[in-house]
Amino acid sequence: MSAAPQEVPGSALFQGYDPGSYYDEMFSSRGEPRPYYVKMFQKLAALAPSHFEERRQLADLAFLMQGITFTVYSDGRGTERLFPFDLIPRILPRSQWERIERGLAQRVVALNLFLQDVYGKQRILKDRQMPRELIYSCQHFRREMIGIEVPRGIHTHISGIDLVRDSKSGEMVVLEDNVRTPSGVSYVLENRLVMTRTFPDAFQACEVLPVNHYPAELCRILRSLSPRATDQPQMVLLSPGIYNSAYFEHSFLAQQMGIELVEGRDLIVDANVVYMKTIRGLKRVDVMYRRIDDEYLDPLTFRSDSLLGVPGLMGAYRAGNIALVNAIGNGIADDKAVYSYVPTFIRYYLGEDAILRNVETYLGDRDLGYILDHLPELVVKAVGESGGYGMLIGPAADRATIEQFGTRIQANPRNYIAQPVVPLSRVPSYHAGTRRIIGCHVDLRPYCLYDGEKVTIVPGGLTRVALTPGSLVVNSSQGGGSKDTWVLHGEC
Amino acid sequence: MPEMLSRIADSLFWMARYIERAEDTARILDVNYHMMLEQSDHEYRLRWDPLIVMAGEEKPFQQLYTEANAYTVFDFLAFRADNPSSIVQCIAKARENARTIRERISREMWEDINGLYHMVNRFDAADEIAAGPHRFCDAVKFACHRFHGVTDATLPHDEGWQFLRIGWSLERAEATTRLVDVQYQNLLEKPSVPATADNHQWMAVLRSVGAYEAYHRQYHSPIKPEKVAEMLILHPQHPRSIRFTATEVQAGLRAISGAGSGTYANEAERLTGRVLEGLRYQTIEEIFSRGLHTYLGDLLQSFRSIGHDIARTYFYYAVVA
Repeated sequence: MSAAPQEVPGSALFQGYDPGSYYDEMFSSRGEPRPYYVKMFQKLAALAPSHFEERRQLADLAFLMQGITFTVYSDGRGTERLFPFDLIPRILPRSQWERIERGLAQRVVALNLFLQDVYGKQRILKDRQMPRELIYSCQHFRREMIGIEVPRGIHTHISGIDLVRDSKSGEMVVLEDNVRTPSGVSYVLENRLVMTRTFPDAFQACEVLPVNHYPAELCRILRSLSPRATDQPQMVLLSPGIYNSAYFEHSFLAQQMGIELVEGRDLIVDANVVYMKTIRGLKRVDVMYRRIDDEYLDPLTFRSDSLLGVPGLMGAYRAGNIALVNAIGNGIADDKAVYSYVPTFIRYYLGEDAILRNVETYLGDRDLGYILDHLPELVVKAVGESGGYGMLIGPAADRATIEQFGTRIQANPRNYIAQPVVPLSRVPSYHAGTRRIIGCHVDLRPYCLYDGEKVTIVPGGLTRVALTPGSLVVNSSQGGGSKDTWVLHGEC
Repeated sequence: MPEMLSRIADSLFWMARYIERAEDTARILDVNYHMMLEQSDHEYRLRWDPLIVMAGEEKPFQQLYTEANAYTVFDFLAFRADNPSSIVQCIAKARENARTIRERISREMWEDINGLYHMVNRFDAADEIAAGPHRFCDAVKFACHRFHGVTDATLPHDEGWQFLRIGWSLERAEATTRLVDVQYQNLLEKPSVPATADNHQWMAVLRSVGAYEAYHRQYHSPIKPEKVAEMLILHPQHPRSIRFTATEVQAGLRAISGAGSGTYANEAERLTGRVLEGLRYQTIEEIFSRGLHTYLGDLLQSFRSIGHDIARTYFYYAVVA
């Protein structure tokens, strides 16, 4: 093999790497790593591709052996697949993170006040700061929640706020809010564990802020919510069971917090009190971290065909005999049309300007004409969907798809919003097919915990990466993977 | 100490039973195959159909194959997805149970059983059938032993551990009961079998429960069917004898309920106590004079009832409020 000229000695992995026209999280320009990436870049550049490949396989094996997999049943015998994990971390310097942290805390507090208000006095509607129809037409609005005072006034105990970096401005902006049952935090913790085993030397060189206090912090909040005055409240995590794609996370968090993992069939409600069925009879339950959507939670109140929930749970909640995390009815804050009003909430409830900007958003019922005229350049999303479903990416769609989508929007404008395509920033990522590093688009989902007084955020969060070259869709259901996210103790 | 969920106790119990079932099947397949290799006389070759009878799966077997031989029986008992008791299926179910309680078992246990599942699925059925069952069965047997070891060494010996102990002891009690019963009937059907062939058959039985060497230490005599039966039914210390396994079931049940010796807290304990009384104070001669087949049939029925009573006492909630 003839020696090819290389920009960095030995950096065969990065040979020919082109940051392109996007904001590159690692390089400020071709071959020039940002100050906070220099150490990690040097570690990577010193690795022969075969050694990198070896570490990658070790990491995959670690995930397989721990059963951090999801099952594909299409072949009839149930094949286990890994969620792809990319070994090159996404790094943020302390100063960038602190601004993000302030912005997220502000947003979470405002979202909580909004939910309190909408299910309470509805001041924001009476003051005409947002249209009443927008709330009442939300698919996830829960009339049953009106007037319920939730324990300690907290609705948004756990929020997953999706951020992206706009390549044009280099600024972190909020793409969407997830305050129902955001998932993925177990990957933050497991990715970190695997990374410390795979690249122990890099952790010695870079001072990375730890993330593993998340379960303890969440557990502290759960304990504080007990409606019974007891030192040992019975706390449970309600899961739909092993066939749910997030089951690993349910089990992981229950184990880490030392609380009981239960399914609907383990619970029973009698006289508005929730009990679990133990080998020594029924035991009262005080706090429930539920990982089942509102509509499946109680077949007596919501969907009557749900086998996952607990009949009578809503009654116990209303009677104040059980705390639910997160509260019921939070879906209105996830609605992508309501999202466009979050800066308004921040001003209205806190008297502050939003630290983290929203992406410019056109509402289907307000800006229908503009949306229909500009479909080929817009991203259109159904307001109540998540996981990358119900989306149109205008620039990537053919004419027929665009026309079809246009018809759907016209039929139900309230159900859609449109945004300009955000050119997401990229992080160098390993492409197994070519054994090369290529730039892949990423987002960032930090997990925010709110105890009613302060917001705690484990440094970083889940960096999701679109591993299909050129793709902008980072969702795991659409071929996305994840990376470890490092917030450095300092600036480099 | 928080009370254990009934569903978790149920899953622990069944996880243990499935692991034990996989091991028992692997043992008997392996031994039968080896004894057959050493038996040159066609007429007295070991038969394969008793293995299917022992597994209690005659019907599905007959639907799939025309003849019970080394290949069809191995295929059926080790790999077939349509045999609910095949080794691969048992391990899949054990792991499925482990998955539903992985926050309750040790990380090492989960990783071990998950590794076991991936291991058996990596075997190619056609290759193994061509190579003979030893490699596969040996791997399964030792992997099951390792799981026992990991469990003992990493899981607190609390109530959960007692449910595991009851699960695999009860399964093993049933397996040994069926083994003795089927082998005895099989032999009695062929009264003209010469002594050497007879001997081989009983050697196979002893080896399949790992009791061959212990037999010789105990009896210092050639292998006699009555002695083998005595050892497998009444031996107080051999870990696969019926008496020993039933004692384990009793110890597990009492650890959970807190019932003292000579008393019982539930139907499962009462039945176990009654079974053990017979196993402790009867001689093998008395058992033979009553009829071995009847005796073992009653035992098997008792073990099944004990299983149901455990479920009724600890796992099921019949009343819905």
